[in-house]
Amino acid sequence: MAQGVLVPRNFKLLDELEKGEKGLGDGTISWGLADDADNTLTRWQCTIIGPSKTNFEGRIYNLTVECGEHYPKERPKVRFNTKVRMNCVSDNGEVNSKQLDELKNWQTHSSIKNVLSGIRRAMTLKENKNFQQPNDGTFP
Amino acid sequence: MADSEQTENSGTEITITVKTPKEKQEIKIDENADVKKLKELVGEKFKSPIEQLCLIFAGKILKENDTLKQHGIKDGLTIHLVIKSANKTTAASPGPADTPTTTTTPSVPPSRPAAPDVSASPFGLGSMGGLAGLSNIGMGSANFMEMQQRMQQQVTQNPEMLRQMMENPFVQQMMSNPDVMRQLMMANPQMRDVMEVRKSEFYIRNPEITHMLNNPELMRQTLELARNPSMLQELMRSQDRAMSNLESIPGGFNALQRMYTDIQEPMMNAAQEGFGSNPFSGLVSGDSAGTQAGRENTDPLPNPWAPQSGGTSGSTSSTTSTSTTSTTSQAQGQFGMFNTPGMSSLMSQMSSNPQLMQNMLQAPYMQSMMESMTANPELANQILGTNPMFASNPQLREQFQQQLPTMLQQNMMTNPRALEAMQQVMQGMQTLNSEAPGLFPNMGLPAGMAPSFPPGMVGGSTTTGTTTTSTSTTSATTGSTTETSSATATTTASGTTGNMGPTTTPATPGGVDPFSNMMTQMMGMMAQGNASQPPEQRFANQLDQLAMMGFVDREANIRALQATFGDVNQAIERLLQQR
Repeated sequence: MAQGVLVPRNFKLLDELEKGEKGLGDGTISWGLADDADNTLTRWQCTIIGPSKTNFEGRIYNLTVECGEHYPKERPKVRFNTKVRMNCVSDNGEVNSKQLDELKNWQTHSSIKNVLSGIRRAMTLKENKNFQQPNDGTFP
Repeated sequence: MADSEQTENSGTEITITVKTPKEKQEIKIDENADVKKLKELVGEKFKSPIEQLCLIFAGKILKENDTLKQHGIKDGLTIHLVIKSANKTTAASPGPADTPTTTTTPSVPPSRPAAPDVSASPFGLGSMGGLAGLSNIGMGSANFMEMQQRMQQQVTQNPEMLRQMMENPFVQQMMSNPDVMRQLMMANPQMRDVMEVRKSEFYIRNPEITHMLNNPELMRQTLELARNPSMLQELMRSQDRAMSNLESIPGGFNALQRMYTDIQEPMMNAAQEGFGSNPFSGLVSGDSAGTQAGRENTDPLPNPWAPQSGGTSGSTSSTTSTSTTSTTSQAQGQFGMFNTPGMSSLMSQMSSNPQLMQNMLQAPYMQSMMESMTANPELANQILGTNPMFASNPQLREQFQQQLPTMLQQNMMTNPRALEAMQQVMQGMQTLNSEAPGLFPNMGLPAGMAPSFPPGMVGGSTTTGTTTTSTSTTSATTGSTTETSSATATTTASGTTGNMGPTTTPATPGGVDPFSNMMTQMMGMMAQGNASQPPEQRFANQLDQLAMMGFVDREANIRALQATFGDVNQAIERLLQQR
């Protein structure tokens, strides 16, 4: 019906939280609050399971997503904790918002889930999937 | 809420969905268990060695030493499972981001709404699973009033009566007004609960349900379908089918069962209460909802003294339906209720007819009303305070007030002597009535004025009355004079031709038919009253609230409020769903 209703930040994030806990999606990505007591709903902890038939296979990637005060008007900051090599990820683990479509074209109705599945899809891209992945470890 | 649920569930079994990209399984586990135990169970189900399992919940990798509680894992939630291949140990080692997980103190309850527990159905309806027919609704549940049960039973057993009721123009008019409908539904605590509290968890599972509750057409249908038994059957059948489809949704049968108990039954109950109770309840809620009805209620009402069987039955059922919702939250409504003409009429009838009084007091619904009065002396005082009879006579009120607590505490319904004493009080009032007739004109009640109820109301409430209070009412009417029946007959006759259209003419007490006029006016207000205002005005408060919460699109807010008849909570729900 009414398109473009801007949902207030907390409503949206609570909704996303609930979806994360209910395990919506295909089970290859997961997201939740980094700290359950975080009433500001700012720091999120997410996992991406490396897609099969890529060099990411068999790994579980840990990411931190930060939803600022102006979320969802402003795109969230996404950062890998687990070492990874991808075009859109900088040396310190940050996901470059200009190189990931989901972040580049961020809209107010986008969600953490969108970003995560976007990253996972990026893992299957030709440009990424054959990257030699670093040994286990985390970004500093 | 999270707290109470946790204490309730301590040591109980919860069901968790464990999902891999390929399959999912339900695992039952003690809520206090640790992740290690969960892994063992998961290993069994997925036939994989524990070492290869990696459990992820809400973005966190679960470690064996953690407990489920620590992560806020509750009934109905989903955990992702990764089964690592046996030869590789490539899983990324838990990063620094895991640290907060382990340092989280388990004592901190999650700050968000806890997930529903199937067994913790708020109305104690859990025992009522299964898709029984209408006749089962409300039966066997202690939460519903005896009266309501009987009413429902009778209504279901007698479709003809129901149809009569539904065809009554008054009822129809009410039904065509979504505002009134909503009030009726919201007047039922169960229904309100469903619509306001439970919805958040439901709309995730079943968006259709929110839609259903927000849909005036459907609400109306619910009432209307009762008019037509075959339509009812058809609806029940298609609903059954829809439900069996729902079973394929994750969470499946549990959600289904819960939906049935929490939504369908209260809805049916509310629906039945809606048309079953009577116009008064509509008036009451209209009153407490802050429409302009207040004035009428504070005025002394024309002729509450003449015996009026229609009025009696109407007010008694109103009593019960309102006292079902008793407790403090509804106290406002209850106070309003005792201001209604029906109630005054009841009081007067009680005073003029001890026999009726006795019968009434023995009726179960009176008992429950009295119980709620005992539990809330304030309420009892309020009743006394608002009754015109007492209002105009402070001495009498004082006397009555002094006696009331004792009376109630002695449980006079079961104590014949107390009842007798009560009768004496009533007889005293009767005497007062005859000895001091000047009292009544003082109250603006023209003595001997022809009792006239508004069209429709007599028909509707009489029908209800006869079914619900068949025992007491019959004996009561024998006790009262024949004038009652003739009066009712005339009113009904005039009622059929009566002016159902909303009038804006102010009521003129002392006119030819002031009471009827006033009722018509009230109905008019209900029917169109605030609906005639532009939505911005009508929902000004709600719009402010929404704006404060951060919903900035005023247009969309108005639309949502219109769709939900001004219910902010539902409007939010709707706005959230629309994006």
